[in-house]
Amino acid sequence: MTVDTRVLPAPTTDLDRAERDLAAHGICCVPDVLDAEQVAAIRLELDAAVEADQTSDEDRPSFGLDPDDSNQRVWNLPGRSPTFVELAEHPTALRLLRSVLGWPMLLGNLSGNITGPGGAAGTLHADQIFVPQPWPAEPQGANAAWCIDDFTAANGATCFVPGSHLRNRLPEPGDDTGAVPYEAPAGSLVVFDSRLWHRTGANTTGTETTGDRQRAAVFGWYTRPIYRTQENWFLALDPSVAESASDELLVLLGYRTQGLGLVDGRSPR
Amino acid sequence: MTDALASIAADGYAVIPDVLSAAEVDDITARLWAAAEESERRGMPTRIEALDPNAANVRVFNLLDLDEVFLRLIDHPTAAALAAGVLGNEYIVSNFTANIARPGSGSMMIHSDQGIVVPEPWLEPWSINVIWCLSDVRAENGATRFLPGSHRFTTADEVPDDIADRLVAFEAPAGSIVAMEGRVWHTSGANVTADEDRPLLFGYYTKPFVRPQWNHAVALRPEVQATCSPDLRYRLGLDVALNLGRT
Repeated sequence: MTVDTRVLPAPTTDLDRAERDLAAHGICCVPDVLDAEQVAAIRLELDAAVEADQTSDEDRPSFGLDPDDSNQRVWNLPGRSPTFVELAEHPTALRLLRSVLGWPMLLGNLSGNITGPGGAAGTLHADQIFVPQPWPAEPQGANAAWCIDDFTAANGATCFVPGSHLRNRLPEPGDDTGAVPYEAPAGSLVVFDSRLWHRTGANTTGTETTGDRQRAAVFGWYTRPIYRTQENWFLALDPSVAESASDELLVLLGYRTQGLGLVDGRSPR
Repeated sequence: MTDALASIAADGYAVIPDVLSAAEVDDITARLWAAAEESERRGMPTRIEALDPNAANVRVFNLLDLDEVFLRLIDHPTAAALAAGVLGNEYIVSNFTANIARPGSGSMMIHSDQGIVVPEPWLEPWSINVIWCLSDVRAENGATRFLPGSHRFTTADEVPDDIADRLVAFEAPAGSIVAMEGRVWHTSGANVTADEDRPLLFGYYTKPFVRPQWNHAVALRPEVQATCSPDLRYRLGLDVALNLGRT
């Protein structure tokens, strides 16, 4: 069967099909991975983290790919609440991520990204921006994006350039022609490989007809194990997280490792 | 330094003599043996069975935590200039270890440091080994064997079948640095002397996005971390943000 990579794949709850979509399109969407209750709980935790950041004296690091301050970033979510730790090792996400990256892999970051009314579109990029070009044949990372609100064209759904992963390079000036919003209901999981060009969508709500609409998402960034994580989990997390962690989570956080990331010549745990 | 970087670009390696005086070499060698003892006392073995065929290689890990002289060497202006020249200014410290080849020590597998870890194609160096020679190094006492120009192999397929027959030993006087970029195919030499130790220190530096071999933030004691300059803290990844550039 020929796959038309000029379009983004339709959402599917068939995980075998999602894996095939991910391989062919560089992206897949699985709806209903989180139920309404889980989504609501995560939204509350996310709001609490935002509020904690806003009342904190510490500077919130800005993000180079955001055009303005309307896009709220929340860093180190696994350090905020066990809810996010569970999300980092959600079996559906890990199954799809493994199909791209193999095992072991590392969790580079798990962060929140909430667009606000009037927020402009982000900069088009691919997530393996740090890998010198020309890139290896296989993707070096993948993103698991959790839709905590409905993703709509109006509220800033992430926009992807279909088939761009096949070019296996960063976008250049003039490439930004065909980024389309990937709409998905709250509770969906979107997984995409690190070569696929994308950007935060513009949030065009905030008018009289639309009202104010945010678009919250949690982005889990995973890489092959040879890359440095963005967060230093050994410093970012309370020690109790590792103490109660599953074997898989220990691998994802770098506590269980071979050859790299050693302490005194051994895996940290 | 310009000559050294040109030599690395052309051949994959360079010898920089006289970086350390004879007195410094003696002092550092004594501290290295003391560090090996301290390492054993801490329960960190100085022998790695997976790497070496017999007990005649003494390997000392976690040098940076064992004596402040090693913190100075990893940050030495000549080493820093080599790392920055090959990897760019944002380079990080992956590891700092010692390998003392004692008489009777054997050879490892032939490899490139980058090829073990990094996916093909290998088009530019992602790492460099800055090797401190604490004795004269020559073929008989276990000089590293390498294939000049092998940094141009971009895939494993390009490595010749007879590479083992074509390796040459690097020779350098005590106090030299031998710099070898990460794509050079090499192995440790066998020490066939009767009574000569060949201590080398390996400062291993990488591009900032590569995961370090050593988790310095956990491995270095707080009192050691407290002595590190902001620049060295960045190089060692001692703070929360890692692969996000300098913060």
